[in-house]
Amino acid sequence: MNLLSWIIFTPLIGAVAVLFIPKEKVTAIRATALGAAGISFLLSLVALAFFSTAESATGMQLVERHAWIPTFNIQYFLGVDGLSLPLLLLTTLLTLLSLIFSLSIQERVKEYFFWFLLLDVGMLGVFAALDLILFYIFWELTLVPMYFLIGVWGGPKKEFAAIKFFLYTLFGSVFMLLGILALYFNSAPHTFDLVELAKMHPGWTEHFQIMAFLAFYLGFAIKVPAFPFHTWLPLAHVEAPTAVSVILAGVLLKMGGYGLLRVSYAVLPLGFKWFIPYLLVIATIGIIYGALCAMAQTDMKKMVAYSSVNHMGYVLLGLAAVSSTGFNGAMLQMVAHGLITGALFLLVGVVYDRAHTRDISAFGGLAARVPVYAGLMTLTCFASLGLPGLAGFFGEFFCFLGAFQRFPIFAILAVTGVLVTAAFFLRMIQKVFLGPLNTKWASLEEINARELAAVLPLTVLTVYLGVWPRAALDLMNPTINNMVNILAPLFNK
Amino acid sequence: MIDHAYLIPLVPLIASIIVLLFGKEGPKSNMPLLSIGAMGFCWLDSCSILYKALTHQVSMPYPAPSLPWFTFGDYPVSLGLLLDGPAVFMTFVVTLVSLLVQIYSLGYMHGDTRFKRFYAYVGFFTASMLGLVLSSNLLVVFACWELMGVSSYLLIGFWFEKPGPAYASKKAFITTKLGDLGFYLGLLLLFAYAGTFEIPMLAQRASMGAVALPVEVATAAGLLLLCGAIGKSAQVPLFIWLPDAMEGPTPVSALIHAATMVAAGIFLVARTQFLYAASPLASDIVAWVGLLTAFMAATMALVAYDIKRVLAFSTVSQLGYMMLGLGVGAAGYTAALFHLTTHAFFKALLFLGAGSVIHAMHTNDMREMGGLSKKMLSTSVTMAIATLAITGFPGFSGFYSKEAILAAVYGHSPLMWAVALLTAGLTTFYMFRMMFMTFAGNPRDIAKHDHAHESPSVMTVPLWVLAVLSALAGFLLSHTGAFEALVHLPEASHGGHHPGFLLWSALAVFAGAAGLSYWLYGRGDFAVAADLKAKMSPIFTLLENRYGFDDFFLLLVKGSDVLARICFWIDERIIDRVFVDAWGLICLLLAEIQNFIDTLFIDGAVDLTGTVTGWAGGGLRGLVRGQVQEYLLYVAMAASLFAMLTLIH
Amino acid sequence: MTLTHYLALGAGLFAIGLFGALTRRNVIGILMSIELMFNAANINFVAFNRFLHPDRLLGQAVTIFNITIAAAEVVVGLALVLAIYRKLNTVYAEDYNLLKG
Repeated sequence: MNLLSWIIFTPLIGAVAVLFIPKEKVTAIRATALGAAGISFLLSLVALAFFSTAESATGMQLVERHAWIPTFNIQYFLGVDGLSLPLLLLTTLLTLLSLIFSLSIQERVKEYFFWFLLLDVGMLGVFAALDLILFYIFWELTLVPMYFLIGVWGGPKKEFAAIKFFLYTLFGSVFMLLGILALYFNSAPHTFDLVELAKMHPGWTEHFQIMAFLAFYLGFAIKVPAFPFHTWLPLAHVEAPTAVSVILAGVLLKMGGYGLLRVSYAVLPLGFKWFIPYLLVIATIGIIYGALCAMAQTDMKKMVAYSSVNHMGYVLLGLAAVSSTGFNGAMLQMVAHGLITGALFLLVGVVYDRAHTRDISAFGGLAARVPVYAGLMTLTCFASLGLPGLAGFFGEFFCFLGAFQRFPIFAILAVTGVLVTAAFFLRMIQKVFLGPLNTKWASLEEINARELAAVLPLTVLTVYLGVWPRAALDLMNPTINNMVNILAPLFNK
Repeated sequence: MIDHAYLIPLVPLIASIIVLLFGKEGPKSNMPLLSIGAMGFCWLDSCSILYKALTHQVSMPYPAPSLPWFTFGDYPVSLGLLLDGPAVFMTFVVTLVSLLVQIYSLGYMHGDTRFKRFYAYVGFFTASMLGLVLSSNLLVVFACWELMGVSSYLLIGFWFEKPGPAYASKKAFITTKLGDLGFYLGLLLLFAYAGTFEIPMLAQRASMGAVALPVEVATAAGLLLLCGAIGKSAQVPLFIWLPDAMEGPTPVSALIHAATMVAAGIFLVARTQFLYAASPLASDIVAWVGLLTAFMAATMALVAYDIKRVLAFSTVSQLGYMMLGLGVGAAGYTAALFHLTTHAFFKALLFLGAGSVIHAMHTNDMREMGGLSKKMLSTSVTMAIATLAITGFPGFSGFYSKEAILAAVYGHSPLMWAVALLTAGLTTFYMFRMMFMTFAGNPRDIAKHDHAHESPSVMTVPLWVLAVLSALAGFLLSHTGAFEALVHLPEASHGGHHPGFLLWSALAVFAGAAGLSYWLYGRGDFAVAADLKAKMSPIFTLLENRYGFDDFFLLLVKGSDVLARICFWIDERIIDRVFVDAWGLICLLLAEIQNFIDTLFIDGAVDLTGTVTGWAGGGLRGLVRGQVQEYLLYVAMAASLFAMLTLIH
Repeated sequence: MTLTHYLALGAGLFAIGLFGALTRRNVIGILMSIELMFNAANINFVAFNRFLHPDRLLGQAVTIFNITIAAAEVVVGLALVLAIYRKLNTVYAEDYNLLKG
């Protein structure tokens, strides 16, 4: 086993270990889960250290390849490049922090940590797998733990939310499976190898590519979620426990964007090209409409959930640009959104744990009572509305920059979403933190050490990426340049 | 020190972060001294750079080293400095005003529970402005621009426990953000055409003519950047946030109005002058926006009773002047930036003086003041100097800068000059009105007046420093030609001759307006003024409602709220209910139908087999009664039957 | 004496045994009747051996086997009867109807 396998399967080892600990030994369970996630995170840092960021390093790195089911040419094929490594790092980090935040879970601790670690395995696998069957297996592997995590530890409507999430995303992935099989049977020799498949598009007709693209798109768009397939998201977010919302927004949505780049764009360029006009419209609607929906919310968590629709709209806009700038923007935006929205959900969770309400108008003047919390929340909100100097800005900016170069009208329309985003975040800050202190919360407690440990790393990274976006761009740029250059003749015709 | 000019924004930034995160909070905190020290360092640094520039020891623009920042696609972006005349002057002004404001705040903010945080915010605010002034990269300029928006948000809402500041800060941020969208798009447009954010490279492209940068692009980019400037510099129609921004602590108002924030918009237009030079249309629009703003703001200042609001409108009006100057060509460019410099001194002084008055009286309302000159000598004298400066009294700094703008405007269009001159008259009128209502006559609120006392020297010393500058800066910089030597456009013709009546008409307007003001407000009772107000109440109402712009934007906000609710309704009721949940329901319905078919036919067939077997079993069970001998009998019978059959064959 | 006589004796004995097995109420009687049928079979074996293959002793050998098995069967059968008697307190076969359908 090489490094990537260890990163992916350390949480699995942890999950199995958790199963063998008696359920009364809560501390041991927590320690095991944290340990597994921590080791996985450290190993992913090792992977970062080994990862070459040279301009020439455009191929897959840290590759591991074994035949798995040779009859159907299915392989156990792992590898990372500039697209997957940042997301892999994001996943290990967010999982670790979510688990730290989850230390306060009291109910059915053993199952909780077991499912959480299993979820981690699935997510990591999606980003590292380069064989479509392996990819699909990991993709589906995330569903079951998510179903239980929402359905057991969620809010009042948890069962409905869990079922809706499960069925909706399953609906999408079934079509994806169809697409995978279509690619397999149309490749010669038959293969599920993504690197090989990416070389085969010249042999495919445009019609075939469009059909296969649509099948994949359904799977990815539901995950992203792209308008109009986004309605599972607010419900699932609101009902899920805090840490699960973090993973849902921080990582699961990224699987869609990643898939669009890795499969839809690289393997089916003609299909992607055909879809660009629609993608632009979808992205623009997502940006404006998501922001407006967020503005109408009174529940903080639901507001953040809709803001995700808005932010993932930027990602789609960047993808539609089909340029280094746009793709860099989309990737950066995905990473930044993971950090920022993760932090936002954690922070909303902090206040919910204390006040047992998330109604924006139920608060008031909290800044005087809990200054550290208010400061962190304000910073994160500003990051989310795209303030320069914080991580959200550059992703958003590059998406717009890329889109503007080719489709200025859509960029101009979509920019209004930025204003609406600012409006609803500031309104939330004003109603919750500013003004006279609502006496009901006069004894609200300040954010504690466990919560700080979960939030602060995200805040620090948000600032770091905002000031020094190179940290992420240098990882992604060679791969993205290569991807764009290879297919540039197709798209510039 | 000029090679380390990057320290100028960096030091206050780091200081403000240290002040925010470390040290003890409270009225007795000594962290502010760190902030003041950092600003002092920057001021000294900027002094040395300015000195070198004035004495021609270094050539402008100075080639400062740059740092590679990041690369996206094939575009490298670097952090660099653009040290030219305007930047050097602006740096000097910003650091000086910020330093004085911070010293003054030691007295003004004394006893505040968030003493330290105030300094952290002010330091951050100043650092953002300095970054904006010095950066050679339009992307960094935008970043600093936004950061300034945030700092102003934090500072205007500094006393956030009160609903007023909380609302005003949000209003300021959103309103300026609306303008910023223009800046944002302008940035996208410029990059799409030029592939760089570096201001010198963009200027070079523009200077190569329409081949490198088409006129339409220059016009569009110029107008988009102007949108940003309109928001930040509070021009029509986005000036609505500025009067509300008076909810912040007064030193912050001084900072916003003199050196940071509103100056940024003017500075941006000046920095991107090459776009307006390439596009006469954009340039004209700049001039008209400026003129309109100058005039409308001046009229609104006529009827304000809040001392800070008078000053706020006067800032808007003066910024309009500067915008006007920027829109009328090369002479106007120098004049506008000159006015920006002198305005920084006297407007900071006016705000700090007003702060001193408010500090003493605990009210902003000029109707409750009066007769303060005896009690607050330093404040009243320094404010009088500032008033003479802003109204353009000969010899004072405002005289030089304003005359320069008027002369430039006359060269461009006499009609604009006439309106600008009228505006100058209005300025004189309302400034004297403010002075008369505040300091002259008899006290109108005896209790507050008795309580009032002169501010401590930590507050008055900055006033005197600024007063000296307000009085002398114009003369020093203009007569020696020092300012024009550093701040001018390449194509500017040097020292044009203006007709003499320009000066005389300005002086006449000044005298008339000052006299009118004395007649209405300077004689103790305001009977004539009140009478006038009663007679012209529709006009007064219109002005007090700020021409209805506030209502218009409020309507916009309400409209977007309604739109938001409609969107959410569609989302919840149509997209989710009809297109998603309905799928589920249809599936359920199909499942029910299939269940019915299943039960009836398929399962029915299975059940039938079972039932038949059951019946058969029921019939046959009678044969099996548990009697061993019966079974034996069956065996015997069967065996005999078998034997018989065998025998028959 | 011909083979037919022996076979007639065997058949008669078998018929008597069968009749007894079907009609006796007492389980022990049934067991005894079964023994009669065994012996009818034994007679047939020995007779066939004597008349058809006098040079071999196969029939006698089988008969010896049968006698042994019959003895074992009686032992087991009586043990079962004893056990079931203890449970049901009866030796009449018609009361042994636990398997009634």
